[in-house]
Amino acid sequence: MRKALLIAAVAALSLGLAQGKLTVWTHYGGPEVAWLKDQAAKFQKSTGTQVEVVEVPFGDIQNKFILGAPQGQAADLIVSIPNDWVGAMVQAGVLEPMGKYATASYINGLSDVAVDALTYKGQLFALPMFAESVALIYNKKYVPTAPKTWDEFLKVAQANTTGNRFGFLYNLNDAYFSYGWFTAYGASVFGKSGNTLDTSQVKLGGEPGIKAMTFIRDLRYKYKLIPEGVDYAVADGAFKDGSLAMIMNGPWAIGDYKKAKIDFGIAPMPAPPGGGQWRPFVGVQGVAMNAYSRNKTAAANFAKLLVSPQSQISFNQAGGRVPASKAAVAELKNDPVVAGFAPIIASGFPMPNIPEMGKVWGPWGNALSQVTQKADSNIPSIVNNMVAEIQKSLSGK
Amino acid sequence: MYRSPPGARGFLLSIGLLGGAMLLAFGLGYLLFRALALALPRPIDTPYPGYLILIFMAVLLIPLLVLIARRYPFITDWYYLLPAISFLLAFTFYPILLTVYFGFTDYTGLRNGKPDRSTETQVVRVEGNVLLTPGDAAANLRCTHPNCTGDPLELTSETQRATVTINQVEGNRIELSAPPPFTPKLVYHVNAYGFVGLANYREIFANAGSILIPIFLWNLAFAAGIVLLSALVGLILGLLLNNKNLRLRGFYRTLLILSWAMPTVISFQVWGALLNVNFGAVNRFLGLLGAYPVPWTSDPEWARVAVILIGVWQAFPYWMVATLGALTTIPDDVYEAAKMDGASGWRTLTGITLPLLRPAFTPLLLSSFAFNFNNFGLIYLAINPQPAVEGRPSTAQAVDILISWAYKTAFQADGGQAYGLGGAISFIIFIITVLISLVNFRVTGALREVR
Amino acid sequence: MATSERNAQGGRSSRHSLGATLSSLLLWLLGLALGVWLLFFYTPNLLGRVQPRVPFGFVFIERGWLYALGGIVLLVALILGYSLILTALSNARTGRRRSPWPLFGQGVTHLFLWLVLIVALYPVLQIVAASFDPNNSLYRLAPPQSDNLLVRSRVIPDFAQASLENYRKLFDGVQIYAYQGVLMALALLSLVGTLGLAGYRRLIGDNQEVSPLATAQGRLLALFALIAFALVLLLSPAQFTSPNTEAKFVLWIRNTLLVSGITGVLAVLLTATAGYAFARFSFPGRYTMLLVFIFIQMFPGFLGLVAIYSLISNLSLLNTFTGLILAYSGGIISFGTWVYKGFLESISKSLEEAALIDGATKWQAFTRVLLPLSAPMFVFIFLLQFVGTYSEFILANLLLTGSESWTVGMGLRNFTTGQFQTKWGVFAAAAVLGSIPILAIFYGFQRYFVSGYTAGSVKE
Repeated sequence: MRKALLIAAVAALSLGLAQGKLTVWTHYGGPEVAWLKDQAAKFQKSTGTQVEVVEVPFGDIQNKFILGAPQGQAADLIVSIPNDWVGAMVQAGVLEPMGKYATASYINGLSDVAVDALTYKGQLFALPMFAESVALIYNKKYVPTAPKTWDEFLKVAQANTTGNRFGFLYNLNDAYFSYGWFTAYGASVFGKSGNTLDTSQVKLGGEPGIKAMTFIRDLRYKYKLIPEGVDYAVADGAFKDGSLAMIMNGPWAIGDYKKAKIDFGIAPMPAPPGGGQWRPFVGVQGVAMNAYSRNKTAAANFAKLLVSPQSQISFNQAGGRVPASKAAVAELKNDPVVAGFAPIIASGFPMPNIPEMGKVWGPWGNALSQVTQKADSNIPSIVNNMVAEIQKSLSGK
Repeated sequence: MYRSPPGARGFLLSIGLLGGAMLLAFGLGYLLFRALALALPRPIDTPYPGYLILIFMAVLLIPLLVLIARRYPFITDWYYLLPAISFLLAFTFYPILLTVYFGFTDYTGLRNGKPDRSTETQVVRVEGNVLLTPGDAAANLRCTHPNCTGDPLELTSETQRATVTINQVEGNRIELSAPPPFTPKLVYHVNAYGFVGLANYREIFANAGSILIPIFLWNLAFAAGIVLLSALVGLILGLLLNNKNLRLRGFYRTLLILSWAMPTVISFQVWGALLNVNFGAVNRFLGLLGAYPVPWTSDPEWARVAVILIGVWQAFPYWMVATLGALTTIPDDVYEAAKMDGASGWRTLTGITLPLLRPAFTPLLLSSFAFNFNNFGLIYLAINPQPAVEGRPSTAQAVDILISWAYKTAFQADGGQAYGLGGAISFIIFIITVLISLVNFRVTGALREVR
Repeated sequence: MATSERNAQGGRSSRHSLGATLSSLLLWLLGLALGVWLLFFYTPNLLGRVQPRVPFGFVFIERGWLYALGGIVLLVALILGYSLILTALSNARTGRRRSPWPLFGQGVTHLFLWLVLIVALYPVLQIVAASFDPNNSLYRLAPPQSDNLLVRSRVIPDFAQASLENYRKLFDGVQIYAYQGVLMALALLSLVGTLGLAGYRRLIGDNQEVSPLATAQGRLLALFALIAFALVLLLSPAQFTSPNTEAKFVLWIRNTLLVSGITGVLAVLLTATAGYAFARFSFPGRYTMLLVFIFIQMFPGFLGLVAIYSLISNLSLLNTFTGLILAYSGGIISFGTWVYKGFLESISKSLEEAALIDGATKWQAFTRVLLPLSAPMFVFIFLLQFVGTYSEFILANLLLTGSESWTVGMGLRNFTTGQFQTKWGVFAAAAVLGSIPILAIFYGFQRYFVSGYTAGSVKE
């Protein structure tokens, strides 16, 4: 009843205007923007609603949306937001709960991880588009089959670390990339009480955290795999160059690797020495709606069009991302990228979507940078400082 | 001719007249704007743009000013300042005031005075000033105060929206302080921010020993290092290029200016990439000279050296040009006289040239210091990400100066935005900059002179 | 009475000189301590942080600096020999006794300047090289196959692989209408004409400010500016058809020129009358206002981003160039006013006084007498604001949304801070092209920069 009323009211409003117009903010580039514009044109043809696609840099969207939405200066839809923004944007009041626009059958057609990741305080705040995580991507020219154990991995990596190429590289100081090692040693960002994350338990420290940090430092100083100065651009460039055997990277990079004609395979990382299974962060991106939008029905319809299985398949063909819809994944099961990433995503942890997560990234990356700076960095004290900084900012002064 | 009342009385009278006229014009402009919106309403989607108020204000201000000038002719002197003053007031002074005010609040991106959408609660019935909800209202709304007393609540219907205050919440009943202005369908808890007094300042000074003071000292060293080194390099080059017998002077000067002329958003970012320890072009060059790779961007101390060197690279042409400009003001006969006296080149330099350059250089040195003290672009663009320093938070890493620390605090920490704390740091930076400038003015006597 | 005054003065001056000696002694001591610390504590610590290992793909020459030093010494020796021989020869021919040292000094100066040039231009060379590198990365790991040591160590870029792909990406899908092409040709023609005239004037040694040729040059330049402005206004986002973000580069240049140009003009308009009032009137409160003007600009303005955002948003000017221009406008008022005031104070009052006696009002005296003289200062203030806003990106980023309204600074920033990609190649190509307007302005108006800075600040 309520929904019907709301929709009727909004429909009346949008009828009042000469023609409804939607604005969509996106951080996609190249072929994916082209895909989005295609969908917009299709939508306009079928409904008459004009859709304007505006490109906004990834790093700016959140801030601009939070500032602009209440002033009526933000887009009706964002395509798409990562799940770790959801909590913060909901608390700032700019996201519309999407549950009322999505039917149960639609929700059931999505992977559970994806729905979970975009659900905050029991409500779905974005319609899932795609899921992503990092994985081991290896160049088959140097590594014919993926190493299964750490010893195998280390042997292959070190054998390939020669004067002419590197064995294994990734952006060591990035917490998002390194998270899998933390889970392997039993650490996580927040503890759980019942089914919800408990921000009073920061679980990055203690014995597990120290072990993970030590292992990450060892990648540089003990195993001598990842030298200083390797950032994302260096690792990615080396893999494209064909001078890197194995990289830890995500589906977003696949397009470039195909273009560089690298024959690659995708596999999970092996468990590190003395640790359990490597399980990375799973990021899920979804289409979110502006709570202050004046054209919610049309926006919801366009959002639903974007996340339908057919669109997700064409989206995958444009950019190679792994869809959140089960039907689309089933249809794409012969695609090596989807087939490679899907099990890893299923095994991973969704990135926490509570706003408190925003206070973790900074101190965490800071600690990683300190740990990997020197071969003899004082890991226990760095980890303790990190946890203290996180706890302090969580407690709100 | 007219004459202004002297001294403070004249000043206050003029300020009062101008300020009064502007306030009056603004008020009338605002009223006119509202009247227009009421008389010829426009759809909610496309309301009248806010800048109309400014246009109305300008249109009203002109006759007002003419009237005032009839009665007080001396005020016309001030009219020459009016364009500058009004732009300063609107686009510099007003944002500053607001930012300083934020410094006394706990305003953040999350606590932004807007309804929290995850607290959406349906209203079943309204009884006077009591709203009835289907479930446990206190749990749904997640209030900050016990029983929600005093918490703001946003009411919405399909067409209307209002913010009210909660008296208390009991079970499924929300008791408001007054009956709602319309029948609400949905209500939300508002994450309000408020005045917190000096709490932000207390927080900054509580960590002064590990953050504020080390950053301040580094900031001084950073600015002084860049200014002194670049001035020295520029002075030497300027003196060399001033030699009229040197061939290709124009050629050298043209090419050497390049690093100053390049937009910094380009050159600083490129430097960051060139200085990469294992893959950067600078270390490859040094490798040819037999140097092991220098951790320019990955070691905290070297990162500091690196930003100073980048700053010197960018600023030395300025000093070269300044030296050349100042040298043209020294008449040739001074040198001829020195030559007649048989002074050596070195004696001429230390005895004549440098002392004559000094008055030209002092104000430049000081203003350049003030500029580099807040050289945000260099810090932010050149070394990113920065190496971390043990014992410092993520907002204050190796090469962070006060202003980049404030920027990171206000816009990058705390899940994005800690505007209140950022405002407080801005105010502290302002005070420090003013103090430094006061010292500068004392040294140069700049203020004494204009008086 | 008179004696006691003189005594007091004497006492003060001797105390003053003692204090000065003490403070200069203290300064020297401080400097010495700093030097010792730098040399004996800081530098060893710094050097200890360099790990002695040769990374992958490095061309490392043990004691390479010795060879370099040897090379430089050899060059110095060559210069010495050259100047000795040349002087000896010319002395023998003319029979005069001239010292070889000035010639030697010149040679060494040239050598030194070349070394400085290499250091100063190395990053520029790398940007240019990266812009021709199709790999879109500043870090190529596989070393190029080359016999040249400098190429193999990638100190000098390997131009064998150069391609224009990065530049092509920037212009992909840009459609130019015929009339715009005509305008462009006209603009180019007038620019070439201006440059040709300038070159010709230099050739014939025409240094006068006022000469027929100078006037012609000025008019041609004005014509160029006019056509360029028309072009900037006539370019529309619809002409950029490629879906790729970087293909809107020309549009960004156009946006930046528009914003920076109007901001510069606004700066001149706002500061001119204020500078005049401060320089010539002595109204009560003048000193106070001057102080306000100075101190208000010391607030780190861009930290007030949120406040600026709410202001511009309340004016309904978000995502418009007008809003951005207004937000920039406060930036230079203080400095510009001070500079212009300083400039006017250096002009004698007699001209205006003559006009005032003839019955002109203050306004007329200002517009008829002072304004024509102030052109160089206005050019300086305009350029300063233009250059200052050209590469600004933080405020622009906040107020403008969508790649069609980006400025050059925002676009360049976006290339290097994408979520998971750094497009260094495109960045470099855009950097090379994006620097051209600024470089042209810098070199074209160098004179004004020098005179502006001297007029503004060379006063004791």
